[in-house]
Amino acid sequence: MNTGVPHQAGHGPAARDSYRRALATHFGVLVAALLLFGVDRTLGCLATTLNVVFLIFFFRHLGFAVAAARWAEHDVNAPLVGIETYVPTIAVLVACKDEELVVDGMVAALLALDYPPDALTVVVVDDASTDGTGARLDAWAVADPRLRVLHREPGAGGGKSGALNDALALTDSEIAVIFDADHQPESGVLRRLSRHFRDPRVGAVMGRCVVRNGVESSLASTIFIDYLSGYLVNEYGRQALFELPAYGGANCAVRTSLIRALGGWNPDTVTEDTDLTLRLLLDGYRVRYDPSAVDFEEAVLSSQRFWKQRYRWARGHQKCLRDYWRAILRTPHLSVMEKVETMLFLWVYHVPVLCGMGLLLIALHAIGLGNSSVIQMVSLSALLFAGPFCELAVGLVLGRVERRAVWTLVGFIPAFGMSIMTATKAYFEGMLGTTYTWSKTARSGATSVVADAPELESVG
Amino acid sequence: MSAPEIGWLDRTLEREARRRRASSTVRRRRLVMLEMAAAVAGCIAGYLLLVDHLRHFEVALAANILGFLGVDRISGVLGNAFVVFGPGMEPVVAEMSGSCTILSSVLALTALAAVALRERHQALFGLLAACFFILVANQVRLVLSLLAGRFFAVDALIFFHDWIGSALNFAYTLFGLLIMIGLTMYDAQLAEQDRSGRHTADRPAAWARPGLGHRVPVEAEPKAPRVRVAAFVHRRILPKALSRRLAQNRERRRIDYRVGHEGPGRRAEIVRGLAAKGLSVHTATLLAVAQYETEPMVLDALADAVAERQWEPLHSADVLALRLWARAWLMRAPQQRPSTGRLIAVTGAGGPAGVAVIHALRAAGEDVLALDANPDAVGLRLAGHAAVLPRADQPGYADALIALIAEHRPAALVCTVAEEYAALAPLTDRLAELGTRTWLPEHADVCLDKVEFAAALHAAGVAHPMTAATPEEAIRVPGPWVIKPARGRGSRDVMFADNLRELAHALETVPGAIVQTRLTGREFTADALIDRDGTMVACVPRWREETRGGISVQGTTFTSDAVAEAVAATLRAVRHAGPANVQGFVADSGEVTVVEVNPRFSGGLPLTLAAGADVVNTYVKGILEPDAKLPALSFQDGLRMARHFSEVFYPAEETAAPAVTSESELAR
Repeated sequence: MNTGVPHQAGHGPAARDSYRRALATHFGVLVAALLLFGVDRTLGCLATTLNVVFLIFFFRHLGFAVAAARWAEHDVNAPLVGIETYVPTIAVLVACKDEELVVDGMVAALLALDYPPDALTVVVVDDASTDGTGARLDAWAVADPRLRVLHREPGAGGGKSGALNDALALTDSEIAVIFDADHQPESGVLRRLSRHFRDPRVGAVMGRCVVRNGVESSLASTIFIDYLSGYLVNEYGRQALFELPAYGGANCAVRTSLIRALGGWNPDTVTEDTDLTLRLLLDGYRVRYDPSAVDFEEAVLSSQRFWKQRYRWARGHQKCLRDYWRAILRTPHLSVMEKVETMLFLWVYHVPVLCGMGLLLIALHAIGLGNSSVIQMVSLSALLFAGPFCELAVGLVLGRVERRAVWTLVGFIPAFGMSIMTATKAYFEGMLGTTYTWSKTARSGATSVVADAPELESVG
Repeated sequence: MSAPEIGWLDRTLEREARRRRASSTVRRRRLVMLEMAAAVAGCIAGYLLLVDHLRHFEVALAANILGFLGVDRISGVLGNAFVVFGPGMEPVVAEMSGSCTILSSVLALTALAAVALRERHQALFGLLAACFFILVANQVRLVLSLLAGRFFAVDALIFFHDWIGSALNFAYTLFGLLIMIGLTMYDAQLAEQDRSGRHTADRPAAWARPGLGHRVPVEAEPKAPRVRVAAFVHRRILPKALSRRLAQNRERRRIDYRVGHEGPGRRAEIVRGLAAKGLSVHTATLLAVAQYETEPMVLDALADAVAERQWEPLHSADVLALRLWARAWLMRAPQQRPSTGRLIAVTGAGGPAGVAVIHALRAAGEDVLALDANPDAVGLRLAGHAAVLPRADQPGYADALIALIAEHRPAALVCTVAEEYAALAPLTDRLAELGTRTWLPEHADVCLDKVEFAAALHAAGVAHPMTAATPEEAIRVPGPWVIKPARGRGSRDVMFADNLRELAHALETVPGAIVQTRLTGREFTADALIDRDGTMVACVPRWREETRGGISVQGTTFTSDAVAEAVAATLRAVRHAGPANVQGFVADSGEVTVVEVNPRFSGGLPLTLAAGADVVNTYVKGILEPDAKLPALSFQDGLRMARHFSEVFYPAEETAAPAVTSESELAR
């Protein structure tokens, strides 16, 4: 298939290190407007613009909630067709770095996957772990020859992308399925993910991730509900209404021929998943989402870890917008509505920044500045929450969660506040070009207990 | 259809193909956008229509509440505004604006319920409860801001209403949403997971909705509520007939998870029972079986039950779905066993036993290398690979076999000709080196030599006809007689004699003859498989009702403890392990006499296999896994077999060039 966009072979468009000039221009325009039109009129126009943006995003979220509420419940449980007869060769790839606490549960789940053994390769990469991860993996490999373990030397570089690229080089399977070290897929995941590759236009398929350690803390329980709405409502709605779900980096499958042609996973980004989604779309391929291909993962337990994780997501996602927006607008492979939705999707982590700006305007309004908004500022507050709350509420209903869980939604109000701060910090640091590298998410391992893990002694 | 009509159809189809049609995704998007637009329009229209009524209503309600509380100096006489006299008796008119009413919140929730939750009936109750809560909360807000104006200052009223009130407005709208969603959600009995994501519904794993709950033990079982409202309403309030009718409706939509926890046999029985009540009674459970079940026995039971009830009116779309499923299930292509990826060599591919063994192995997914001395042996045309060997008693047999095995590397070798055992036994180590396992009986010779066999059975006390190996001894054997070669095969060279003249003639004619008393009664053959430790894995006796050329062509399986005991005693006596067939007679008195044992599969093997005792693949398992304990095989009693001819066709030149060694050559 032809590439509609003249971008570099390899890892997408050339990424710039900083956008200080653009940031200075934004600031200059604001100051000029304040001077030219006065504080009240400028802030009023700004508030109106924000309200329009929020209104667009509100209806986008509401649309997803409506689509999911209407169709997702049947879709999650729909009969499968022909999964026994279509079995392309699959390589399951997992990158692990210092994952001793969860690696047993992950390997046990991988070895329990339901797929013809002659069509399945399982490669787990020990990315220069300094704990017992490598030894545990070797013990598993001795106990079960289906598992292949690749040990990377310290300083091999590239983070998760580098490890996955090394693992990919070991296989000649048609499809690569990626999991993270804390993931435990349901046994039918591979058949459910691979069934979508019957369509040659499909480049990647995303499954649904479910939090399994909600019992460990109230934050984990909140993240469990966040994932319910994120996958059962938002991701589902994007597929149902735009056919544009995102490839999410774990519990997802990609055609190896495509990933090889694209030069592998991009080691220059901290959200290689969004990056790959965009590169596939720009090359004319489609990403599909299968809400019934489920794997269970661990949520972070401390708010500090939560902050770090969401900061990484915001930073990477915002970078993808800066790297790809021109290519998206020019590509012939997307219709106008699809381009609009892709831009809105890439804008998602900028919306909290605008929310912060909206709250600032409300504060200024309280002291009598910027009173001339066409749309009243106060309605901002409703729109800030209404869209995501609709998604969360529908997620709870679709997930058939017990009734009293509804009060957990109150916990999202501080989470929204936090996301305003992480996204704003990520925005300014990204624009200023401060250096940032992959930060590994710490695990708990409490819900990763395996009854029949091999003894370490068996390695000798 | 005439030519002009076809031309018109083509043109229409072409025109339709050119026209840009919206994809299903675009249609879905348009539908959702249209519904959201309608909801917004409904909200605006509702606001314009109702706002004045609601202002009056809320003012009157708040004024009544204040009156009820005995607060003076606040009046709602203006209809849509309050008159408040502050602490200094200064009058203030506080107008009830549209945004002060509950209308926008109520309309927003109604619109959300209408577009997103309308297929969930419980959402209506949730919406009503949420509206009531919002009304109460807004009254609290109004009363508190009026009281602030009455007791503190007019500014306090404005501050309280505008700022604190806005925050309250936001909070109670949010809580209203939570109430509506909460009541739309499921209580602990119907939910599938708790708030931390643990599975609580006790669905069988095979019936699970993907991802609804992590399956870990939940320590505390969800407690049943103390007051069961629904149960109370059904037992005490509703008329019995109505209650029963509602229960029937519920049952039609409810999946009974308990079915999934049962074993396959019981599940099939339950499915038959549920379907027998009518497809529209337990429709959801039957549909769940069609969707989740993988056991063919249960699916067959359901499909048969649906097929039997085609007279039933199509009560719902679910019944139609069941009918469609049953149609597809009963029309499915015959299932091919997945290949094991192994190659099994079979000698004696031309004999009926060899053919039966080849069929049984291929049905189990094994690839077969058929071997026979005769280039026209039929089995050579029935297997994936075939080769012609010299006869076992000819020189060159060993070298040819080793060369073939080295070429094809089968995992196991099954010998269906007992006379080959002697030639094969010295080769087992070389075969094992080539990766081909064998399991040959060590004492086959006892069975092949009828004199030795008679002695062994005599020593073991197993009933056996009197046997003589010389003409002198033959005189002492009571007639009528049967005369056969001491080392014969099948029924070759077997003669019968009713008087001494015939006996003398037969003894001269049959080479190396033995003489036995001809037995009367019903003749039987039992196919048996003995494990290495002497355990009888299978014993399938059949009446030998008709034979042609020594091959059973009609027979019926039967069970008899006496026969099974005689067979076991015989095989113990000859210290046999592996496949065997034991022939004998059951006298009218019930006495069982064993005549001979062939230490190999029999020509009547297809009946044994059809009766359910897969002695062939069990034997192969025994070859490949010498240490494994073989499972005991049962069989269907009273199964009858009638045989017919079947043909294969192949080019004549294949016979001239007998060394057929590859599949591609076979195909040619």
